Amino acid sequence: MPSLPSLRGPRAPPLPLLLLCLLAPVRRSSEDGRTPAASFTSLPVREEMMAKYSNLSLESHNISLTEHSNMPVEKNITLERPSNIELTCQFMTSGDLNSVNVTWKKGDELLENNYLINATGSILYTQYMFTIVNSEQMGSYSCFFEEKKEQRGTFNFKVPELHEKKKPLITYVGDSVVLMCKCQDCFPLNWTWYRSNGSVQVPVGVPMNNKYVINGKNANETRLKIMQLSEEDQGSYWCHAIFQLGESEEHIELVVLSYWVPLKAFLGIAVEVVLLVAIILLFEMYTQKKKKHSDDGKEFEQIEQLKSDDSNGIENNAPRHRKNESVGQ
Amino acid sequence: MALRAEPPDGGWGWMVVLSAFFQSALVFGVLRSFGVFFVEFVAAFEEPAARVSWIASIGIAVQQFGSPVGSALSTKFGPRPVVMAGGILAALGMLLAAFATSLTHLYLSIGLLSGSGWALTFTPTLACLSRYFSRRRSLATGLALTGVGLSSFAFAPLFQWLLSQYAWRGALLLVSALSLHLVACGALLRPLSLAEDPVVGGPGAQLANLLHHGPFLRYTVALTLINTGYFIPYVHLVAHLRDLDWDPLPAAFLLSVAAISDPVGRVASGWLGDAVPGPVARLLMLWTTLTGVILALYPGAQAPTALVALTVAYGFTSGALTPVAFSVLPELVGTGKIYCGLGLVQMVESIGGLLGAPLSGYLRDVTGTYTASFVAAGAFLLAGSGVLITLPHFCLSAPTSKPQDPVTEALDTKVPLPREGLGED
Repeated sequence: MPSLPSLRGPRAPPLPLLLLCLLAPVRRSSEDGRTPAASFTSLPVREEMMAKYSNLSLESHNISLTEHSNMPVEKNITLERPSNIELTCQFMTSGDLNSVNVTWKKGDELLENNYLINATGSILYTQYMFTIVNSEQMGSYSCFFEEKKEQRGTFNFKVPELHEKKKPLITYVGDSVVLMCKCQDCFPLNWTWYRSNGSVQVPVGVPMNNKYVINGKNANETRLKIMQLSEEDQGSYWCHAIFQLGESEEHIELVVLSYWVPLKAFLGIAVEVVLLVAIILLFEMYTQKKKKHSDDGKEFEQIEQLKSDDSNGIENNAPRHRKNESVGQ
Repeated sequence: MALRAEPPDGGWGWMVVLSAFFQSALVFGVLRSFGVFFVEFVAAFEEPAARVSWIASIGIAVQQFGSPVGSALSTKFGPRPVVMAGGILAALGMLLAAFATSLTHLYLSIGLLSGSGWALTFTPTLACLSRYFSRRRSLATGLALTGVGLSSFAFAPLFQWLLSQYAWRGALLLVSALSLHLVACGALLRPLSLAEDPVVGGPGAQLANLLHHGPFLRYTVALTLINTGYFIPYVHLVAHLRDLDWDPLPAAFLLSVAAISDPVGRVASGWLGDAVPGPVARLLMLWTTLTGVILALYPGAQAPTALVALTVAYGFTSGALTPVAFSVLPELVGTGKIYCGLGLVQMVESIGGLLGAPLSGYLRDVTGTYTASFVAAGAFLLAGSGVLITLPHFCLSAPTSKPQDPVTEALDTKVPLPREGLGED
């Protein structure tokens, strides 16, 4: 594939090809509309926009596709604050690069401008540059390469997600509890709390009173302290982390028990212990009584036998009921 | 009931073994699994970890230093009422802890109250066990002590489940209910009157007698030395493994391996202690020396297989020395003075236990590795076994291990005893 001249003409110094493509000049967006792939470079960049957002950071992301890719390739990107974005897709095919149709879409909507197409050897590059400043600009951006089959690469932009906690918080009536939400590496602009009965979320703690106190030690965490808990406070609580580019939420389940719940179990076990002790002691008294009776009975027998032996003169070998001592170890 | 010349060696004694099994489970199993509550307390009271760990430390200290009190009371009143009262105290401590609003409440309820309860239960039970057995004493003690290891296995997940269902307040209520079973265990401790009991007299006289008893004092010194080195691996093994770049999960698993070989060692040593003729002190010296040598070998072991083998061996030998350690005492002081003797021993040896772990930690801080700590632990154990050699009849094989005081009472003599209980005349 021969190298393509830059519109800047021969005055441009010799540069690596891709860099050449990137330095292509401004083009009026009204001319020509979309040019067919690989004919020449085009990069209608709005210079005013670049100047306004030049203090934002730049995020660059890449996706590689081949003609044999079976599944669409996706990349998830976490974005917290407004940034300039540079998305690059490269497509490798053995066929004719000219016949590949390149498009960019945001969601299902076709994108018209701000992307360029270039080719080197058997790799086709396309790049889309734009800026994200508000939540409507977040979402999924896809590049499409249409040859015989359509190959697609998607960049998903999301605000940082909050750490998911699964365990419900167990508390008791009259206690106080602290619900905490924390974001690992991000710093939301603001936090808000809601509770939900069913599907509707109702704000919580906004008029701070004796019951609710909201504070947080750092910017990346928030704490909702609820005091004087009652059974009505039981339910789902949501904390929302508000970023410039959207919101993210986390769910915490609060369970409020009355003291009676574990107390019932405690009393049940205490009754069981009392029964055990009673059984053990009664059993012992019973065996003692039996032993006493058999003692008396045996003593009586021995006395009788002694009497009879004495009178008979036979040696007495009556077994003694007490255990003979064992000889040492 | 009349006096016996010799312990029954069976019969109701096996019920006492059962009672001692459950008691070691309920006292030491609860103590060892209390770490599960630790995280909850740190979060609930927003206190640093060091302050929360004092709860368990106070409990252990009160249990050990209070042992002589439990022993003295058992001598006077018999083990049954003392253990039952101890069970009620232990349960009461946990019950009050469920309503705690500050860490100090926990220090007082779990540390002081439950600790006192535990002091009144464990030592009298083991002493009672020694009175019920003579030929099979070591085996009975070994079997009873397996309760500790097995309960640590069972209670840790149980407590975790209780926490997930009832949070820490409800969980403490239910642990209190669990501890109430100590009362039932106490009920099983039928008083036994042995022939030498009237001869040895009340607790005051016994204590005075023991403090002048040479072999007893030497034995106490030996056990203190042993105790100083004994706990170090349990406390520092995981940290030592992490120093050697082990991951936390395999390191914890290695501790459980030791926890498995420990009860095996206890039962095996108990059986061996009864089967082998001669003073049990020799076996104690054997196991102690082996444990000391193993500990001294730890710094040299780097390969995982060597460490695993050493840990299995350590679990076995350290478990093996426990039942024989308890069996030596009746041979030394006689079953009549066993309550007081055991109480004193527990109190003094606990000093070793309290000093051992911090000393090891200090050595680690000074030298940078646990090498010095393990070697010091081994040295303490070897020193303890050295002192054991000075016990009477060690080198010469004694014919029987008769108690010091002569048994002169005939079987049928009924002597009023300073003790109450069912079945006593």
